[in-house]
Amino acid sequence: MLKSTYKPSPGLLQPLPPGWTEHKAPTGHTYYYNATTKESTYKRPGAVPVPMDPATSYFQHQAVPQINLSDPVVANAFMAQYTAPPPQQQQHGGQRGGFGGPGGGRGGGFQSRPRPQPVDKPRSKVAIPGHDPWILVYTKYGRRFAYNSAKNASYWRIPEKLMPAILELDQARIRQKAAGTASAEQEDGKATASSGPVPRKEQQQEQEPPQHDYDSSEYEEVEVTDDEGDEEQDGNAPKRRRTEDAADDGPVEFTEADIAAQLAAMGADYGDEYDGYDEEMDEGDEGLPLSDSDARELFKDLLNDFNINPYSPWDKLIEEGKVIDDARYTVLSTTKARKEVWEEWSCAKIQELKEKRATEEKKDPKIPYMAFLQEKATPKLYWPEFKRKYKKEEPMRDTKLSDKDREKWYREHINRLKIPQATLKADLKKLLESVPLSALNNQTMTSHLPPQILGDIRYISLDPQIRDPFVEAYIQGLGSPPAADERAQEEENEAAKTARNERRKREKALEERERAVAEGKRRQEKKLQFERHRLRDEERELERAMHVSKKGLQSQLAATVVDKPAAEVSAEKNREAIR
Amino acid sequence: MPAIRAASKRKPPPEGFSDLEEDLLVFSNKMKDAQNAPTDNIPKHQAQWPVFQISHQRSRYIYELYYEKEAISKQLYDWLLKNGYADALLIAKWKKQGYEKLCCLRCVQTKETNFNSTCICRVPKAQLKEGQDVQCVSCGCRGCASCD
Repeated sequence: MLKSTYKPSPGLLQPLPPGWTEHKAPTGHTYYYNATTKESTYKRPGAVPVPMDPATSYFQHQAVPQINLSDPVVANAFMAQYTAPPPQQQQHGGQRGGFGGPGGGRGGGFQSRPRPQPVDKPRSKVAIPGHDPWILVYTKYGRRFAYNSAKNASYWRIPEKLMPAILELDQARIRQKAAGTASAEQEDGKATASSGPVPRKEQQQEQEPPQHDYDSSEYEEVEVTDDEGDEEQDGNAPKRRRTEDAADDGPVEFTEADIAAQLAAMGADYGDEYDGYDEEMDEGDEGLPLSDSDARELFKDLLNDFNINPYSPWDKLIEEGKVIDDARYTVLSTTKARKEVWEEWSCAKIQELKEKRATEEKKDPKIPYMAFLQEKATPKLYWPEFKRKYKKEEPMRDTKLSDKDREKWYREHINRLKIPQATLKADLKKLLESVPLSALNNQTMTSHLPPQILGDIRYISLDPQIRDPFVEAYIQGLGSPPAADERAQEEENEAAKTARNERRKREKALEERERAVAEGKRRQEKKLQFERHRLRDEERELERAMHVSKKGLQSQLAATVVDKPAAEVSAEKNREAIR
Repeated sequence: MPAIRAASKRKPPPEGFSDLEEDLLVFSNKMKDAQNAPTDNIPKHQAQWPVFQISHQRSRYIYELYYEKEAISKQLYDWLLKNGYADALLIAKWKKQGYEKLCCLRCVQTKETNFNSTCICRVPKAQLKEGQDVQCVSCGCRGCASCD
């Protein structure tokens, strides 16, 4: 189990009555001094006693150093105190010393040490649905009892008939808790843990026999406490006084053997808890519906919330112990599981960081150094002195800049400080002018100047009180950012481009058509020519036929026979050519 | 470890060193403390345990960052080894099967022992006697067998 980190703060002690002050003696003891009566005492003076009201005096008596019973160690110590007094002490009452302060309450009888008695008080109440006059009251220590406002009776042991309704209530509460409030969980864990030590104390202090159960630590439902809470409820204080007196004087009917058994049982309980705190919690709290993956996510959330460096080793995380105080630390039961989740988380986180770094732009390391120079550099210090003086400063340790550069810039800056201001101003103006309008324009804020200005030595050599108005004035005088114009231009370009494209397309089409036309013409011409050829050929043939020689018809017939096939072949050739 | 040069001539460490710088500084401070701690009342063989332990932790830290989480670059890892932030020889052993958790190199140096055996911390818990609590002489290791 994880020890509760709650520490009873001294502030919870009863405040000193007016006039008293607390001091530390050289020996280390605290003592109290009253400046008006010149009285000093080791015993803590309580508030001025009001004897006529027994209830209040009872409170005073009860007001002791608060101890946290949910802490097993404290609880054990607490119980040991009660086991210490020998049995005969219980017989005689009235052992109490003069009452008053918590320190003095038990004046030097058998116990010099003040007996710490927890003050439990009702803290919140819930009406039990379905059972009208009944109210479930929670005390400061996380215990609870049922109270019947009609009968004005309260019971530590919750009556059977209320059981289902209360279970319902608890489940609702747990559901609410599971939704995310982790700190409440721990408190509950504490509450269950405290059910062990509690009965003992109650057995001594209160005698409220009817509802009382001595083995109540074994019950989950029966949660017991000192009668503090009840007292306020039923308000029969005189009786309480009596019972308290009896109780104060030592354990009643509680033998050594009992105590030993209880202690052993408790020890076992805590041992279990140590191993698996959250399992214990689960069972103890009627089953927390927290799945494994949920637990892992919760633990990761915890790591995120505490801004854990994913690069740091696990040991460092544990040594620092920041995380351990958080309730979400306990959602995983073993350290091994926690480490596993941590490993997973850190891997993912580192990857995430890497990606982020890759996307975000690189910052010029020169800029912070220049700003630093402007702030710190003086002509009174030489570079080595300056360096030694400010070696711990972040810009001086940045490894991205070499020492040589740093020195160079420092010397340059110091030298420039001697130059008259007019020159510096002119230089700055020149620098500002060198920046294009896209980077520096009248929309630029003076706090977000472009890096090429911030990283320049000319920018820092002028005193900011003079420089800033100057830069501002310059910026005011500039034109508006060209971004809008550019866009317009771009749009125009776009239009022109499309137009050009269109035109090109049209031209291409035209060309195509022209070519087609030319082709057609050529073909026609060819055809014409061919026809002409053929005409001529035929004419020639006719001519030849007309021209008859003296050889007579025979020779002519022979010629035509020879000629005809030739003519036919040529005609066919022509036809083919046309095709 | 390379010679330490003047800061003006030193090359900057590789990218990503700034992430580890703080933790490494914590380690080196711890190491300094361990080295300067008085050893008057401590048995002689125990005097160097903290030094071994811190060096182991630091090597482990860098080993995990490089091999398991892959959080640092090769250059940075080499630079760290070169500058003595981690023990390269020990890391070399961790890469071998059976030596994944080795505490220090002395514990596997069989030639240095009388019976040519490794250190008691190398013996798996299962093979030790019931309830036997060991702490090795060389580095105070309580058991570094891989199967533990």
